[in-house]
Amino acid sequence: MIPQGLTAIKEGLPYLLEGALVNIAVVLGAMALGFALGLPLAVGHVYGNRKTRGLIGIYILFFRGIPLLVLLFLFYFGLFSLSGINASAFTVAIVVLGLISAAYQSQILRGAILSLPEGQMKAALSIGMSKKKAIFFVILPQALRLSIPGWSNEYSILLKDSAVAYALGVAELMARAHHVASRTYQHLYLYLTAGFIFLLLTYLGTKGLNVLYKKVGIPGYLR
Amino acid sequence: MTMGQTILRVENIHKELGGKAILNGVSLSVRKGEIKVLIGPSGAGKSTFLQSINFLVMPDQGRVWLEEKPINPTDKKALYEYRQQVGMIFQDFNLFDHLTALANVEIGLIRVKGMKKNVARGRAMDELERVGLKNQVLQYPAQLSGGQKQRVSIARALAMDPKVMLLDEPTSALDPELIGEVHSVIRDLAIRGMTMLMVTHQIRFARSLASEIVFMENGRILEKGPPEKMLSDAECSRTREFCSKINEMSGHLC
Repeated sequence: MIPQGLTAIKEGLPYLLEGALVNIAVVLGAMALGFALGLPLAVGHVYGNRKTRGLIGIYILFFRGIPLLVLLFLFYFGLFSLSGINASAFTVAIVVLGLISAAYQSQILRGAILSLPEGQMKAALSIGMSKKKAIFFVILPQALRLSIPGWSNEYSILLKDSAVAYALGVAELMARAHHVASRTYQHLYLYLTAGFIFLLLTYLGTKGLNVLYKKVGIPGYLR
Repeated sequence: MTMGQTILRVENIHKELGGKAILNGVSLSVRKGEIKVLIGPSGAGKSTFLQSINFLVMPDQGRVWLEEKPINPTDKKALYEYRQQVGMIFQDFNLFDHLTALANVEIGLIRVKGMKKNVARGRAMDELERVGLKNQVLQYPAQLSGGQKQRVSIARALAMDPKVMLLDEPTSALDPELIGEVHSVIRDLAIRGMTMLMVTHQIRFARSLASEIVFMENGRILEKGPPEKMLSDAECSRTREFCSKINEMSGHLC
């Protein structure tokens, strides 16, 4: 039984690794979209007026409060098909994970902004900066650095969540592992392999972000 | 010292925070080259007063003039312009922690004044040299001592060419042996004719520099006058009580 398992892994591995590339693409796309949306959401949540803060609060409640699978189906079978937009399952997975990640990333960044001393903003205003410039040149460069450990966490969650794209029929790692397993009946070996690849990707990603954190660190400021 | 025209005038500043009146109609004016020192017990409203002068705290009521020009804080552009001309020094320095000493001074020149990078660099170097930090320009705030940080913050304010400086207890967060280096920088400023409004309880220092000492309590100015009179022979009994206490603390009887 073991040799058959190993053979199945050996033969399926290139196919599985191709699937892992799909997961990586989904995660990178979702991280990028989540960042592009999460940054303005965070700034608006901290510095916006009541109405802005309220709307952002609703956005966050929505995307943090509904299960991923529900959102995937809602967007893929609901919103996208009803509105006549012809989006692939792959695209929908990136968009939905990105929208969810925006909610979480905004809170990572918001926490970092709020952790900065109030005096940073005051000092920036005192030399004649506008609030916008102060946010851009003083607050965000510090808050973004402080957010890296939080992103490391967000990356590992997104990576694991990307396996749910299987439910839309995206040929990612989990889908492929299932496919090979049901053909070869080597379920244990294939899911172990899939799990190991996910584990490795999580490790490499968090390690990479840790290197980045050290690289952009400020002497005596970040540890 | 020759006193020129009025640089800064504030009238009837009121501020309430959390239902408590912090400032109850404070008025003050500072003429060119003058150095006014604000003293008073903690909670008197000194910091809030300084911060409402440049609208870091928005006063509920009151008006401010710079060189007899009224300031309208709702006009954003005018407000930013005005703040450049009013240098502010904070008790806890508030250097931008992610920037080197040099970049802390440059940032206002580049991002606010729109100077070219190399021009800004030259000016920032000059300012840092003037406060004695030529050899620390590439250090980050966390690598500097408290006294060095406060000197960088003075250089940062000076680079904007302020017409008046507001100093909020510039040495009260410093170890005793570091106070001297900051005092000597402030003294240099005074010699060069900088107009200043300073909160400090370093009474010897205040006595040697101030043209006037202003005593504040409960959000009001109770009494003001020349240092000799205020510190030894104040008219108001509350002022006398406070001054004798800080005199005792600094070990100098009047």
